[in-house]
Amino acid sequence: MEIKRIFKLENKSWVLGSVIVAILVLLPILFLIRGLLKIEESDLIYLLNTILLEYTLNTFYLIFITSLFSLFFGIIPAWYISKYRFYGRSFFDITLYLPLAIPSYIMAFTYSDILSFTGPMQSFLRTHFNEISNIFNLDYLQIEVLGIILALALYPYIYSASRISFSLIGVNYINLSKNLGLSKLKSFYKIFIPLSKPAILSGLFLVIMEVLNEYGAVKYFGVNTYTSGIFRAWFSMNNIGTAIQLSIILLIVVLSLFYLEKLMNAKSKFNYSVNSKRQNLRDLKKKKLLLVYSVCSIPVFFGFFIPLGFIINNVILTYFEIDFNQLYELVFNSIKVSTIASILIIIIALLFLFIEKISKNKINHVISQLISLGYALPGAVIGLSLILMVTSFNKMFTSLSIIGSFYLLIYAYVIRFLAVGKSPIKSSLDKHPDSYTDTAKNLGLSPMMQLKKIYLPINKFALITAFIVTFIDLMKELPITLILRPFNFDTLGTQTYEYAIEEMIPLSSIYSLSIIIISSVMLLFLKNIINKQINVPRG
Amino acid sequence: MKKIFYSILTCLLISCGSEKKSNNEVNLYSQRHYSVDKLQYENFEKLTGIKVNVIKANADELIERLKNEGENSPADLFVTVDAGKLYKAADMGLLQKISSNVINSNVSEKLKDVNGFWIPITYRARILVYSNERVSEDDLSTYEDLTNEKWRGKILVRSSSNAYNQALMSSIVANNGAEKSIEWSKGLVQNFARDPKGSDRDQVKAIAAGQGDIAIVNSYYIGLLLNSEKEEELNAGKAVKVFFPNQGENQRGSHINISGIGLAKNSPNKENAIKLMEYLTSKAGQETYVNNSYEYPANPNVSPSEIVKSWGEFKIDPLDLNMLGQFREQAIRIFDETGWK
Repeated sequence: MEIKRIFKLENKSWVLGSVIVAILVLLPILFLIRGLLKIEESDLIYLLNTILLEYTLNTFYLIFITSLFSLFFGIIPAWYISKYRFYGRSFFDITLYLPLAIPSYIMAFTYSDILSFTGPMQSFLRTHFNEISNIFNLDYLQIEVLGIILALALYPYIYSASRISFSLIGVNYINLSKNLGLSKLKSFYKIFIPLSKPAILSGLFLVIMEVLNEYGAVKYFGVNTYTSGIFRAWFSMNNIGTAIQLSIILLIVVLSLFYLEKLMNAKSKFNYSVNSKRQNLRDLKKKKLLLVYSVCSIPVFFGFFIPLGFIINNVILTYFEIDFNQLYELVFNSIKVSTIASILIIIIALLFLFIEKISKNKINHVISQLISLGYALPGAVIGLSLILMVTSFNKMFTSLSIIGSFYLLIYAYVIRFLAVGKSPIKSSLDKHPDSYTDTAKNLGLSPMMQLKKIYLPINKFALITAFIVTFIDLMKELPITLILRPFNFDTLGTQTYEYAIEEMIPLSSIYSLSIIIISSVMLLFLKNIINKQINVPRG
Repeated sequence: MKKIFYSILTCLLISCGSEKKSNNEVNLYSQRHYSVDKLQYENFEKLTGIKVNVIKANADELIERLKNEGENSPADLFVTVDAGKLYKAADMGLLQKISSNVINSNVSEKLKDVNGFWIPITYRARILVYSNERVSEDDLSTYEDLTNEKWRGKILVRSSSNAYNQALMSSIVANNGAEKSIEWSKGLVQNFARDPKGSDRDQVKAIAAGQGDIAIVNSYYIGLLLNSEKEEELNAGKAVKVFFPNQGENQRGSHINISGIGLAKNSPNKENAIKLMEYLTSKAGQETYVNNSYEYPANPNVSPSEIVKSWGEFKIDPLDLNMLGQFREQAIRIFDETGWK
């Protein structure tokens, strides 16, 4: 009796704590909504009548192309690598993750340089095959090309999700498909794809969010998307109210998408029957080898090695202009803020998810959904909402200026990327039955002890995965850093961007190369962890 | 393992808090982020011992930050590459008047703010470049003439979300009135070789690639292209020639824009701020700009870099540069209504 009471009380304080943190996370968004009420005049009608429809349609079209190619680049290699044994399999299994190390705007700038009239491809053709060089002299800055380039940068989200899922589907299902007399192709469509749908959809969701938030690349390609509309209202038309309205609409659309994904996943809820035997890798027929090599190498080479080679070449060209002292400082800065923010994000995400698990009440469930909202807003809008918030506090306590402090920057990172860190931890927690909690309760373990003795150890891999994924996203982060950074503070991302928009791509290359190297190293760790989880038997 | 982890975390957190504070400093909110700026600030610090702190971001974001920080703002100076943004900041009451005889005598009369809220440091012209194979110089004359039917499918320019195009359109509205500007925009859109996209440099490359014949670009970028590390880009730069529009006897001159500085209303280090502006407009400061970039100096006693000089002198549109800000919104609406993407 005594123990039970204490337990309940403690639980309450945990719940209370989570509510306070949730308020902190959601507060800036509330200020954005408050800003909505204060709008004096809006250009929303004007925008609707002129450009908004076109911008919205562009957005859908771009999302469609990017999603299509991301699925293609992600699912098919994942299928062959999860199911078959072939020479070079481990090489592809590692490298297929790597394009995630390249920020999408760098991918876009790099490719537009590679494909341009003065780029290596066309110059090579002009010198050696002058007759046909004209065929390739095209305007490559097209929405379709941009869609494919973004897919090259983003497909690893889908690859990693389907790679894990395909490998975890047990041998029972394969036997089932054999018994049903399904061909391999049919079993892929009828069994594996439906069973992996939740994983693939969650990967696709991330891809779509990234496309929605993309700003630098779309601007460069002259493709106006919904997000460009937000910035047009804010920067060009000087109407913050309209920008906020547009952001809130975006927020609502993304929320609906989010729930749609949930709904679809709920319908097909399925447990990777933990006990069923894993299937062995099969040998690949010779005639299929060529096909497999091409589907695996296209995303790897176009998504990683070609842009990397181009960037390295730029670095060599500008080697003598590199300021190494500055480079070290920026590397340190980037790693510093990314590490701190990632750790905070993981602690907060774990806190929410853990409390949701042990308390099982509705409030915590809702809160834990809401804190992901920040991911649906463009980074610059989060920066703006924080400025709005901090300054209205500042009016109350006029003494200190918080804007431009590291704490605010990291606060903003947490709001924006909490969803990224939450997702791997959540899927790991979901796999564990609730009986763990009940047993622990019966044993009289306090929540703290449960966390320490049960949840931390069994979710170790998920926590490391969450750290790496968030860390890489933060390494690439740009808009929040630009708007909220302290004096004299540069990161690898901001420096790359500053050179790139001033059309000095070669000078930006050493900084983007550093981002790519650091992120790649982290991805290699991630790959190791994923492999431990899938634990595919060899031979 | 755990101990190492905690100690690393603590070190990181501490390193966040301990920003060195010195009293002898000046704080900049800057839209400029060229390598030459860093050099200028280092030189200034060596000379005066005043440390220059910089935050670099988009001008509108910086204005938002300034506005919200209000009296608590640490900013002394607001540096932009567009007079329109300085006008906007002044219009919102975020700047104060600058009075310094030194600056006054340093900078060219033509570039000064009539209201005294900002000072120019450099300027750039938005000019035409044309294919030296397919276009004869004699066929070119004014911005207005670009809508001529003979240029159907020949004109290249970047997107209307670009601030330089917005400034150009504002200058057209200010000079010719809204109606004529709408006509101009419509005509130009009809003559576009392709949808607006890419950077200024890309427009030049597109001429080299034969996708169009005439491009509207900033003078600054041609200089960059002609000094590229890559041979192919140099060739592209050599495939075009520079033309300053509206130079005729009764014509107003080419559109220019300044890079300039405003003094923040609540500047905490005002004296240092003025000193920095005096230095940047001085002969030494201006020479650093022209030696390390392709901008025109605001100080008439300093001549631009060799490449820039080789394009010759030109007549400047005498329009009050504050108009570039005042007509900005109208310019955007014209873009949207006439389909200049």
